Amino acid sequence: MKCLYAILLFLAAAQSRAADLRHDLYVCVSQSKPFVIGTKVQQLNGLYRMDGRITPTHVGFNHPRIDAMAADPRDPKRIYAAGLNGVLRSLDGGGTWRIVTGWDMTEGKDIAVDPHEPENVYVGLPDGIAVSRDGGQTWVRANAGIRRAYTQTICVDRTRAGRVLAGTELGIYLSDDGAATWRRVFPTTKTVNNLRQSPHDPAVFLAATQAEGAVLSRDGGEHWETLPGTQRGQTLHNVDFDAADPQRLYLAGWGCGILASEDGGRTWSRRSETLPNADIWRMSADPDLPGRLYASPHGEPIFISDDYGRTWKARWFTAATVWDFVFVPRS
Amino acid sequence: MKHLFSFLLVLAGLLTPLCADTTADQRLTAYRNRIQEVLTWRISQVKLSDPKASGLGDVAVRLARHEDPAGCSSRVIELMKEPAGDMFWMFPCVSVAYLGRDQLSAEAKAAMRSAWRDYMPMRGDTENHWAMYYTSLYLMAELWPDEPASQWYSGKSSAENLAEAREYLLHWMDLTTTIGQGEYDCTHYLGEYCIPMLYLATWAKDPAMRLRGRMMLDWILADFAIDTLNGAYVGAHARTDDRQVLEKWNGLSSFFSWLHFGNCPPPAGYGGWGIYFAAAASASDYVVPEAVYRIATDRTGPYLSHERKRTRNRWRESDVRNAPVYKTTYMTQDYAVGSDQGGLLQPIQQHSWDVTWAVPDPKGVQNTLFSMHPNYSAVEMQMYFAEFPDWMAKKVTLQNKPSYDKEDKFLGGSAYEQVFQDLDTVIALYDIPPGTTYEQVNGFFSKDLSRLEEDASGWIFAQGGNTYLAYRPLAPYEWVPIAGGGKRLRSPHRKNGTLVQAASAAEFPNWEAFKQAIRRLPIAVSLEPQPKVELTTLRGRRVVCAYGQVPIVDGTRVDYSRWKLFDSPFLRAEVGGRKLTISHGQLERILDFNTVTAEDRVRGSQP
Repeated sequence: MKCLYAILLFLAAAQSRAADLRHDLYVCVSQSKPFVIGTKVQQLNGLYRMDGRITPTHVGFNHPRIDAMAADPRDPKRIYAAGLNGVLRSLDGGGTWRIVTGWDMTEGKDIAVDPHEPENVYVGLPDGIAVSRDGGQTWVRANAGIRRAYTQTICVDRTRAGRVLAGTELGIYLSDDGAATWRRVFPTTKTVNNLRQSPHDPAVFLAATQAEGAVLSRDGGEHWETLPGTQRGQTLHNVDFDAADPQRLYLAGWGCGILASEDGGRTWSRRSETLPNADIWRMSADPDLPGRLYASPHGEPIFISDDYGRTWKARWFTAATVWDFVFVPRS
Repeated sequence: MKHLFSFLLVLAGLLTPLCADTTADQRLTAYRNRIQEVLTWRISQVKLSDPKASGLGDVAVRLARHEDPAGCSSRVIELMKEPAGDMFWMFPCVSVAYLGRDQLSAEAKAAMRSAWRDYMPMRGDTENHWAMYYTSLYLMAELWPDEPASQWYSGKSSAENLAEAREYLLHWMDLTTTIGQGEYDCTHYLGEYCIPMLYLATWAKDPAMRLRGRMMLDWILADFAIDTLNGAYVGAHARTDDRQVLEKWNGLSSFFSWLHFGNCPPPAGYGGWGIYFAAAASASDYVVPEAVYRIATDRTGPYLSHERKRTRNRWRESDVRNAPVYKTTYMTQDYAVGSDQGGLLQPIQQHSWDVTWAVPDPKGVQNTLFSMHPNYSAVEMQMYFAEFPDWMAKKVTLQNKPSYDKEDKFLGGSAYEQVFQDLDTVIALYDIPPGTTYEQVNGFFSKDLSRLEEDASGWIFAQGGNTYLAYRPLAPYEWVPIAGGGKRLRSPHRKNGTLVQAASAAEFPNWEAFKQAIRRLPIAVSLEPQPKVELTTLRGRRVVCAYGQVPIVDGTRVDYSRWKLFDSPFLRAEVGGRKLTISHGQLERILDFNTVTAEDRVRGSQP
């Protein structure tokens, strides 16, 4: 009886929380045990929508590797996914799909829709950047000015039309003309793995690198400073901003777990002591639920925390590699 | 009765290699018999008591033999309920769909049709994947023409799928016939190109694509034929595996040698994927050209072959997408010496050089000698894979490449190895930076060497079959036993090198004479600042090799820029030429992808 009461309370709380959610959470996941090409795909991989932040609902095909997704700001049912088969597009929230790229574009690593002109879609590929000007129907290469074009991450400035940042093998590149031309604004020796724009101050960008730690720009991506105390020499996989506190930043990576800063990146503290390991594929801060973090430790379930990473509990899957957590505005 | 027939087929297959001068008709009969042998064997493996254990391969061979179409149909309906896999699921589907065109029930055909709408196979990340994926998509789009996008997993119409697949296949053929194959000379992945090309040659509706498939199959088998010694794929490989790098015969490539050339026994299980080639071949009029057959089987005289290939796509750590690979093979009746130039040309499974000696029965025999730098790194992984660095090396070991991060491995390339081959002499130099995993060189010394002697001169002398071998380590070493037999020469020094000279036993009155000849070779070795060797080879050529520098032979620098796509007495093609001339004796076959024509000529005859 006590148990039933507790369950009812939990469900009621969850329902109330779900009603407050302004975003849908999508997770790009490979349920790993490492996938071997040529073997039977045992579990549902690819894209999941975490309905109400409670129930994972698989969306679309069982694709072993979807690295990133993005939605059209005009219509959240218009979804783009980047993965091993290239770029996939759904116009009906994941019911039906089309591979919109051809044979020459493979292994999409990141994808972004231009909020100023949502027909413009950018994808980062192992051999550079491609852009579609017609909502994914057709694609052209857009690497002018980039040496060694491997692109892991793409970020479109939400306040300045035409401004796009790309994290490549040898640094951060910036374009002011919608990817027609690029210039390097921060050189690196290894790949830049993630770029995010602050939800508080659009001039602030944060980046995770493979070999140069975390770097921050306060002027819209023109100049970058290395954040002290971040893990140079350890691979950082991604960064995130807290939706409520502009001074609170997060990092995640291999061997360094999850780090949080409460002072805009000057100092960092570890927030992954209670996770099963410090090899984190991806983390994210929920924009709708204060204190809620998600983490994907290697070979483990997806974990959640409701106290800014001080404690964690296993929530979804048994062994997941999350390539991206994506929050799609509901309207 | 069935067993007797199978026995006779097996016997025929075994006896075939013993016949030196087979006529074209005899050869064709033997080839057809071998195809049937494969199908018979595979059908015998199906557990009739447990039909659910049978997969698409079993269905394909039964359809190839026109056996039990009703059973095949019901099995296809079951199998299509749970499609799983990628291009390795697609190409068996193609085999079943085409072999079963006139045999499968309407329900079975509909089940397969639905699966190709509801299940999205993954395209993969390398050329053998794409060859299979796009060949399969091409043929299925031809099989199911004029269907709308809603009927395909890709969300593209039949016409769009066909166009995309065609475009890729032509692109790959163009790359291969201009700057060489990317996954070149693979002991296993040879099959992943031969099978789709046979499919195109057999089933493509478009006559031009059918001809292209045939021509590419000729091209790939000719490329294989020139580098095979009694069925063993010799020398440098873009990809091989832990077993076949030592036991040269034991892999899928030897299935193709057995099937087409009849010059070796078939590997266990006919190489696994061999059944799909055999099933399609049973419905095909494709036969390997006579000239290619003769190139593979005629070992009467030594020859030198140079080839140019290219690396797999490099995503990072390189300013070029496909760097050139320069291959050399020196072939004799008794042995072959083969190499590339060293360096990181492929990830994980590269094999840069070896000596392979002929053996009368290759089963279980490790008939090879080589050295290598056991190396693994995130740099290698990120050069060729679009992945994060830290987990990749471990992940690879869980994906059927268990030796990748091991110090005692014999498989893999290294950025710190430089190889040069002049005829049957190989000089491999190593300059390994501190901190590299691992700071050593491994030399493979087979359990099947009949002689192995360490000489006070610094040479190690060995004999395998009728081949005398001289191996000169350039730095101190120790011997480590290999599980299963043989010894590993472990030389834990970063500045290092290996010199190998091979020769036929018949060239010398006796073993002592060979050793004396080697001891007398003028040689100067230095290891600082970089390893360097100056040597006059057994063939009287003065070779100077210094790590990081272009090799010099008889005072002339080797000019790799003049290296042709194929350059040998039997295969000739220019870089960028899209045209291969295959010749043996008076026979000549010209594959011209500029005009998409294959022409057979008898040289010296009137036009």
